[in-house]
Amino acid sequence: MIGAIVRKEIVSNLLSYKFFVVLLLMVLLVATTLFIMYRDFSARLADYQVIRPEPGAPIAVVPPNALSIFAKGLDNAMTRSFEIGVLGVDVRAGQSSGNIIYSFFPTPDFLYVVRVVLSLVALLFGFDQISREREQGTLKLMLSGPVSRAKVLFGKWLGNFISLAVPFLLVTLLGLAVLLLDPNIHFSSGELGRFGLILALSLLYMAFFLSLGILVSALTRRSATTLIVLLFAWALLVFVLPNLGTLIARQFVSVPSVRALSEKREQTWTREVLLGLSDRGNWAAHYRAINREDDRMEEDYRLKFERLVRLARTINRLSPAAGLLDAATEIAGTGIDEESRLKAEVVRYKNSILDRIIGDQLAGKRDAQYPAFAYRYRPLGEVFAAGALVDTAWLAIFNILVFALAYAGFARADVR
Amino acid sequence: MGKTLILKEMRAHLESFRFLASFVILFVLVVATAVVLTGDYVRKLDEFSGRQTELDRYLRNYAHFNRIGAIVQPTQPPVPFQALVRGLTADVNIEAFDDDPLPVMFPLIDLTFIVTILISLIALILTYDAVSGEKEDGTLKLMLANSIPRSKIILAKAAGAGLTLVGPLVVSLAAGMLVVLLHPRVDWAGVDWAALGLVLAGAVLYGLVFSLIGILVSSVHRSSASSIMTSLFVWTLLVLVVPNLSPYVASFLSPAPSRIKVARETARLTDVDRDDLGRKLMAQYRAEVFKEYPVLGERMTESELKKRVAEDPEYRKAYEADRAEVERAWAEANRIQNAKAEGLREDLRQKEAAQTGLARAISMASPLADFSYLATDLTSTGTRNLVHFGELARLWSGSFYRDYQPKKVAEFRAKDPTGDAWNTAIDMSDAPRFRYVEEGLAGRVQAALPPFGVLLGYAVVLFAAAYIAFVRYDVR
Repeated sequence: MIGAIVRKEIVSNLLSYKFFVVLLLMVLLVATTLFIMYRDFSARLADYQVIRPEPGAPIAVVPPNALSIFAKGLDNAMTRSFEIGVLGVDVRAGQSSGNIIYSFFPTPDFLYVVRVVLSLVALLFGFDQISREREQGTLKLMLSGPVSRAKVLFGKWLGNFISLAVPFLLVTLLGLAVLLLDPNIHFSSGELGRFGLILALSLLYMAFFLSLGILVSALTRRSATTLIVLLFAWALLVFVLPNLGTLIARQFVSVPSVRALSEKREQTWTREVLLGLSDRGNWAAHYRAINREDDRMEEDYRLKFERLVRLARTINRLSPAAGLLDAATEIAGTGIDEESRLKAEVVRYKNSILDRIIGDQLAGKRDAQYPAFAYRYRPLGEVFAAGALVDTAWLAIFNILVFALAYAGFARADVR
Repeated sequence: MGKTLILKEMRAHLESFRFLASFVILFVLVVATAVVLTGDYVRKLDEFSGRQTELDRYLRNYAHFNRIGAIVQPTQPPVPFQALVRGLTADVNIEAFDDDPLPVMFPLIDLTFIVTILISLIALILTYDAVSGEKEDGTLKLMLANSIPRSKIILAKAAGAGLTLVGPLVVSLAAGMLVVLLHPRVDWAGVDWAALGLVLAGAVLYGLVFSLIGILVSSVHRSSASSIMTSLFVWTLLVLVVPNLSPYVASFLSPAPSRIKVARETARLTDVDRDDLGRKLMAQYRAEVFKEYPVLGERMTESELKKRVAEDPEYRKAYEADRAEVERAWAEANRIQNAKAEGLREDLRQKEAAQTGLARAISMASPLADFSYLATDLTSTGTRNLVHFGELARLWSGSFYRDYQPKKVAEFRAKDPTGDAWNTAIDMSDAPRFRYVEEGLAGRVQAALPPFGVLLGYAVVLFAAAYIAFVRYDVR
């Protein structure tokens, strides 16, 4: 019986104008985003080949992450060049800081398409499921047959889910296959696995919005009303809540501003150099004092910032879009935690070679050789333990909750 | 007749559920945003004054001219408009080790966001069935059975939707402004009201553009179910996709050299290479002086040197000639190396400016980008302000490095002729401070004109298209 309902839903979708528009949008956007982000990644990879440190140079640069094609996250911040010297870490940022227009609009990566457009599309599929059939009178006919409301609802859900997920997966996998043809881009099996996880999360996210559409459609009598409620709910969940949530978190956790920190660093080193000039000879002590003070400041900031991020994440979990963004970027290795960890690693690297750098500098030795910096992304287990598991579970709970509510709403619905 | 039609359109909107829902959500969001952003603005004010205090302390105790450039850099204080429009003021600081990635992941919500996303959505929701809905209800036939030209109907529909949007916008914004103004620490000046009025005008125009898109789409489709689909399709492309793609497309079409490479090269040119050249030139120039004043060849300690300079006028002359040559050598080395570095930087700047200009031009195809530019430029939070800030910074650095610094150095030398004026702490708490003044409204309006013009052009073209589509519409 469910099979018949699923088939009916799929066939009626295939014939509809809605399906045509949605399909067009999906193909257009997934293809565009993959192409654009692939070009962006190639350009950054070419830049990396130019700036990668020569063997022995005390410079920490991580190559661009291939998964940033799908979830760009903080990859621009992670692929900065951290140059170690006696005064500490000197940072240089890459291309995107040269074009201010980047800062006006969010990055159009695959994750953005999923987060913003796929959710909208799923809502459009769900919004008239019950109310339209009621308006057309077919709901009455269907329920007069020997079929339970639970089965009707589940059949509808499954039919629509399939008609959304299949084209989405097809387009995405096709795009991925085209990317794999480029010999410059190498995806390891681990990275492909991570992408698979991101895809699975995306489907879970899409399912949530589909259920939400069905829920509202079961509760309202007219499909025009449903649509308006859903569009506003969508704007709130996808745009407003996550972004307002981080601002609200800032009101509760006091974090020093990054400008203040940079200014403090400048003041520390110029002061110590001045003091060093007055007591000739003891440069090493002053260099160490600069580094000690900067490290203390950095650690203090990192702890406070982590507290801010934790609170912001907790508030943002009200919105599945924020959960998806956090989980997917962390899985891809471009998330907030990963960047924070990279910076901590850079500090550790700096401290491991600092004494030698200071010694070599004081001895006037140029072109000294230092061990290279190596960064390994966190393994998946750690990523999930650190928060991605909660995000995923939360997304699943959202799904079950909304579907259960939709069932309750539909069971009580007056089908006349 | 036209008035009756407009009134009918407006009444239909005002009585509808969609209008009520839109109004409520707009009102709640504008007020909530105003509350949160005002709190954030005040926090930023405190933070800014804290930074100034730190700087004061430093300038009194440790300031020295050799590295003063790293310390007294012009910074932008928060402007009152940040309680409504955030623009480019997010503190990401990716160029320094301490960065703040949260705004990259979660862009801030502000009035620009509310207008660009919500107003456009509301405009579409109000108008997606303007023609197709009336056709479905059968009222279109009735209306056209009277002697009303189609042009009047379509004009009334556009005007009705546009005017309907004005009400909720003004009321919500007034409530938001009340929140902002009730805070005792927000200074809101007369010129800010004028700028806000212009932003509001831009918002209404932006809403009108999307109303016209809704009307155009609805007069192409036979059913309102399909017209909402097409409307949302167009909306997604114009609002969510085109602006975001523009900087990427521009970076492919007009590439710039690697920033990190240029930075490393210029750092090497002005540091290690400069020192090498400086030492070489110094040795060369001093050799001449030594020939002229053999007395300089004597070795002595610092205190003996001070004594000798004070007592022996002949030696003092030789000493000063030597010092002048040393300074000349380093100035020459600095000049040569800085010119080389500046050449590289200039090339980078030009290419990046070309890329930014192209990205901006491409993005202006999207009404969202047009409104963002218009609002941020009018409120001193956009690219126009960056240029203005750069201009102020240039003026200030003139007064600091050309007027203040030589004066202070001369004062120092008068007291202690052998002292190192570059590497000695000098109390600089009387140094000219960078004062940020917002640009006058005229300049801001001038910057906002092109995006305003594009929006206006959109409105005209869309209206013409909607008229043509409606004239050809089969009303049966």
